[in-house]
Amino acid sequence: MQLRLNPQTIKKLRRFRKIKRGYYSFIILCVFLLLCLFAELLINNKALIVSYAGELHFPTYTAFHPGTDFGLDYPYETNYKELKQHFADTESGNWVLLPLVPYSPFENDASSGIFRPEAPNAGTRHFLGTDTTSRDILARLFYGTRIALIFSLGFMASVYLIGVMVGCAMGYFGGLFDIISQRLVEIWSNIPFLYMVIIVFSVIPDTFTVPTRILILLTVMVLFSWTSMTYYMRTETYKEKVRDYVAAARIIGASNVRIVFKHILPNVLATLVTFMPFTIVSAISAITALDFLGFGLPPPTPSLGELLKQGTQTLRTAPWIVMSAFGTLVVLLTLVTFIGEAIRESFDPKKFTVYK
Amino acid sequence: MDIQYKLRLLAIMIVGLVLVACGGESDQPVSDSGIDITQEVLDFYAANPELITFATIDDLPDDLFWEEGLNQPEIGSPEATKGGTYYELLDDFPPTLRTVGPDSNSSARSWIQGYYGLTYAMPHPDTNEFIPGIAESWAIDPGRKSVFVKINPEARWSDGEPITADDALFAVFFYYSDYIQAPFSTNYYKTEYTNVTKYDDYTFSMSVPKVKPDMASRVLQVAPVPQHFYKELGEDYPERYQWRYEPHAGAYTINADEINMGVNIVLERLEDWWAKDNKYYQYRFNTDRIVLNVVRDQAKRLEAFRRGDSDILRIATAEIWYDSLPNDDPDVTGGYIHKQTFYNQGPRSNWGLWINSSRPFLDNQDVRLGIQYAANWDLVISNYFRGDPERLKTQNDGYPEFSHPTLTARPFDIDLALEHFAKAGFVDRGPDSILVNADGQRLAFTLSTIYDRFTDVFTILKEEAIKAGLELRIEMMDGASGFRKALEKQHEIFFVSFSPAMEMYPRMWEYFHSANAYDQAFMEDGSVNPERKAKPQTNNLQSIAILELDAMVDEYQDSDDKERMIELAHRIMEMHHDYASFSPGWVQPYYRSAHWRWVRWPEGYNYKYTTDPHELFVHWIDVDMKQDTEVAQREGRSFEPSIKIYDQYR
Repeated sequence: MQLRLNPQTIKKLRRFRKIKRGYYSFIILCVFLLLCLFAELLINNKALIVSYAGELHFPTYTAFHPGTDFGLDYPYETNYKELKQHFADTESGNWVLLPLVPYSPFENDASSGIFRPEAPNAGTRHFLGTDTTSRDILARLFYGTRIALIFSLGFMASVYLIGVMVGCAMGYFGGLFDIISQRLVEIWSNIPFLYMVIIVFSVIPDTFTVPTRILILLTVMVLFSWTSMTYYMRTETYKEKVRDYVAAARIIGASNVRIVFKHILPNVLATLVTFMPFTIVSAISAITALDFLGFGLPPPTPSLGELLKQGTQTLRTAPWIVMSAFGTLVVLLTLVTFIGEAIRESFDPKKFTVYK
Repeated sequence: MDIQYKLRLLAIMIVGLVLVACGGESDQPVSDSGIDITQEVLDFYAANPELITFATIDDLPDDLFWEEGLNQPEIGSPEATKGGTYYELLDDFPPTLRTVGPDSNSSARSWIQGYYGLTYAMPHPDTNEFIPGIAESWAIDPGRKSVFVKINPEARWSDGEPITADDALFAVFFYYSDYIQAPFSTNYYKTEYTNVTKYDDYTFSMSVPKVKPDMASRVLQVAPVPQHFYKELGEDYPERYQWRYEPHAGAYTINADEINMGVNIVLERLEDWWAKDNKYYQYRFNTDRIVLNVVRDQAKRLEAFRRGDSDILRIATAEIWYDSLPNDDPDVTGGYIHKQTFYNQGPRSNWGLWINSSRPFLDNQDVRLGIQYAANWDLVISNYFRGDPERLKTQNDGYPEFSHPTLTARPFDIDLALEHFAKAGFVDRGPDSILVNADGQRLAFTLSTIYDRFTDVFTILKEEAIKAGLELRIEMMDGASGFRKALEKQHEIFFVSFSPAMEMYPRMWEYFHSANAYDQAFMEDGSVNPERKAKPQTNNLQSIAILELDAMVDEYQDSDDKERMIELAHRIMEMHHDYASFSPGWVQPYYRSAHWRWVRWPEGYNYKYTTDPHELFVHWIDVDMKQDTEVAQREGRSFEPSIKIYDQYR
């Protein structure tokens, strides 16, 4: 499917750029997404570069290096922070380049030796402090947000794919098909989603890996969320279907598929686009809520909901946990909402219409 | 006009109907329904003459040695004063006031008779020797496999009715009946008792099928059941008795009409309790009222305590002890709140990893040994629990004499873990540093659990195990489905503790016998049955089936010789240790609490075999001190701080 941008759309995009608040939010979010993709290079306990015995190693994306690779005496994953110290002490000419935040989201790093929340400290590079088992909050937030964002993008894409297809079909074919599918959609949308998640998660085998489990969670959520999209698509398609250009296309013998995807869909895109950011907002909220309730991703997967839960239990003793998680959530959801508002405004057809 | 009138009439009728339908049941206790079970009870007695025997006092053997248990030390402090109201917090409102049947085993059950109900006799909390409860005296007769009991003629149910031997007989009927819907209790009564004989209104005997060193406790540590209260027992028992408070022999009572559903329960002291002058009870049960308020969230319970809504707070985690209510907290340094650690004794909770040895790879002893060395409990204890708990040694710690004297848990040791994993064929590490065998299978197991409050513990174990090339996948489950998985033996590694009862010796058959691991574990000739199937719904979560061990467990089960049982218990634990299917976690040899200054305690704070500070009701409320403290707090006047460690029983 190829969508050629028509002058109308170009105009709308230009209008979007003029709405500064939404436009800058969009840029910030894009930059953040880009950073998230390379999170391993910024926040990680694996070194970026290790120069040992005249050879350069790049451990970030390669298989693990046991300590013995760098002249240490243990067979498990090298602790690069200690390695750096070790090289500095021995003055052997070897060196280690660590990421900006040298912690993984799973690593317990307690300066006092006791696993408990520690306040933010730039000296130890725990810029947002540590959580209840002395794991770096910034690292957990960053990786947790990455999962939430990728999850919500995947969620949005899947929901739109199913919703648009079913909605278009309902509106375009109409008649008995429309009536039956509408009833099915109504019944389907009345199944309580939270209970389904709980039930599905209690029966899936535990041998599944974390990514598989995330995928299953995504599937379940999509299965119970695509229905709301069909209502809008159905009405929009109904409206467009009776327009002259559709009739014209039909007369020259265009197939149904061609009419729907080439002619109708580009014209109802405006409705779709305005909903997108709000779908993302609801997906982020949903996965955070599920994690908060303990039905989301298995521990120790970093997540916003899990941090929020910890934070509410340590409000008095470690307020930085809840502040970090809550702050991130607020900023993230505000950015997406700003973008959504800007899109809605710029796609608003009433902009140049004046009724008297 | 006419139609409009009819419509209006219809509307009024509908509203009326809805209101009637919404009225629902009244909250009043069920009134006398005319049901009388007396005849059914008599018929049951007549139909089971072997079980229920009626004899005369002349039939009582005269060679019995009657004990009264009056030579044990007193409990509580003579300084204790009666009066005042004691405030406590509940984690949840009890779903029922019944003591048996569906939903009765809730977290609030201890407050519905649990702490204060009396049995015929109870072990002294310091010496573990029997002291009298409902019974005035008792005689243990191993030759007749019976224990004879004389009920104290003074003994009264909390509603004023006298307690007689008929209530002891009725207990058998009660627990045998299907009405109560308590299969576990019913099964217990059916297997543990063979006969109850009534000699006169206050004298009866109970017989047990096997003579065991602790046979006295099987009889003395149960309570009779008030026959007059269960007159209306029937099929509808769970609903009919849902909110009725069973009379008992103890000092406190709940007025069922004054329960504030979902909010609180109030216990009131019986002013003229029949046992109030008894040697062991005179200084206990001091407060007039006990108000139990429901606060469901741990963090909120702490805040409620600090506000003074509760007089006492059990402190379960190091985080609360050190961070939320630290020793330098103004309320603690001001002496308003006192903190204490009390070292106790008794069977210990066995938190640890229960490895299912019937699963692939876990049936290899070297893999199990490797897991033992790869579990870094030492780090959990020292860095997460801040060094206060101790490492659990075996599955059965804390039984005087019966626990193994020298066995200890294996330490965290990466080299030894790798050595054992290598013996099992896991030599090379994959790209993620997890060991793989020649077939490319990863050394990864699922650690299932239902305790989300210990999530941090599992994440620490997981991270440390990676160093030894072992992956532990953490699976958090809700209570019901988690236990189902373990009882169906579907788990690989399960984290749990079977909190043991205060018994003389540990139970072995349930946990170690092959009959609880497989349907038919061995063939006739003693070889392993290749087609054996895991047996569900048993406590043998480790699927242990060793022929030699079976023999020892059987002998232990049947023996009446305490010395021999001790020897067997030690050998069973040694064999279990070698089998390596249980990775012992941690044990808290103490309990901790904080209380407001006006709650007073005897010297030494508490008793050796207690697990809760308030379970013996030895504390009392100093009403004047409470007023004084509240005034002092307003004026900023402070007292001597009190942070004590009672280690006399360590």
